[in-house]
Amino acid sequence: MIANYLSLSVILFCFGLLGVISRRNVFTVFMSIELMLNAANLAFVALSRLHENMDGHVLALMVMAVAAAEAALALAVVILLHKHKGNLDTNVFSLLRG
Amino acid sequence: MVSTILFSAFAVLAVAGAAGLVLLRHPMNGAMSFIMTLIALAGLFALLSAKLIFAIQLIVYAGAIMSLILFIIMFLNIGEKDLPDESNRWFYFGGGAVVIAPLAIFLLKVVNKLPSCEATIVGDSFGSVKGVGMVLFTEWLLPFEIVSILLLVALVGAVVLAGKREGKL
Repeated sequence: MIANYLSLSVILFCFGLLGVISRRNVFTVFMSIELMLNAANLAFVALSRLHENMDGHVLALMVMAVAAAEAALALAVVILLHKHKGNLDTNVFSLLRG
Repeated sequence: MVSTILFSAFAVLAVAGAAGLVLLRHPMNGAMSFIMTLIALAGLFALLSAKLIFAIQLIVYAGAIMSLILFIIMFLNIGEKDLPDESNRWFYFGGGAVVIAPLAIFLLKVVNKLPSCEATIVGDSFGSVKGVGMVLFTEWLLPFEIVSILLLVALVGAVVLAGKREGKL
């Protein structure tokens, strides 16, 4: 039973990775990262259920807090970039290139 | 087996939502299907008897974070002309799938070698607010405080970034 949950977690993680690799819309890339975090959460909770130990739940809570902080900061950066570049294409955001 | 049927339904919904997120062109459509994934994942957490995580997934993830993302998408008022040109995305999907497939196959094999157990609902305290709270505030107190500092830093950073006036980036 637990193997099914972990397999689903792997599949969702791979979808997130595919979204990060192959999409260029900055919102889709951001939500794909959130999808990978959620897949990790599912793995944490499933393994926590396997061992009947609640540390995995606490780790899932921490991941959600980090995701919330990341969402706040990433969306502020996206608004700034959209204001300056007028675009949502990740290929245009190359300010750090030397 | 009710739990097997529920698991299958939630798994199909979650995978369909994830596929929609990756495949749909407009971020608003992607966000809507991603919300479907998040709600299906909340159901899966409930099946794993993680009651607190189930509630927090619905309230914080599907509620707060996704409404923030939807708010920003609507705030920027994205039309067809603002979207990046992704006419060759099927080419990138193919390339990405070729890169990711070995990783996925390896991970699936590893996962299916693990010991298993029946996913029945376990005791009252497992995954409840009281149980998780006892673990959180005894063994995980320092990480909890560090996460609170992280949230404070994110708050200050968002205010500084969003409050910046016209001019330099």
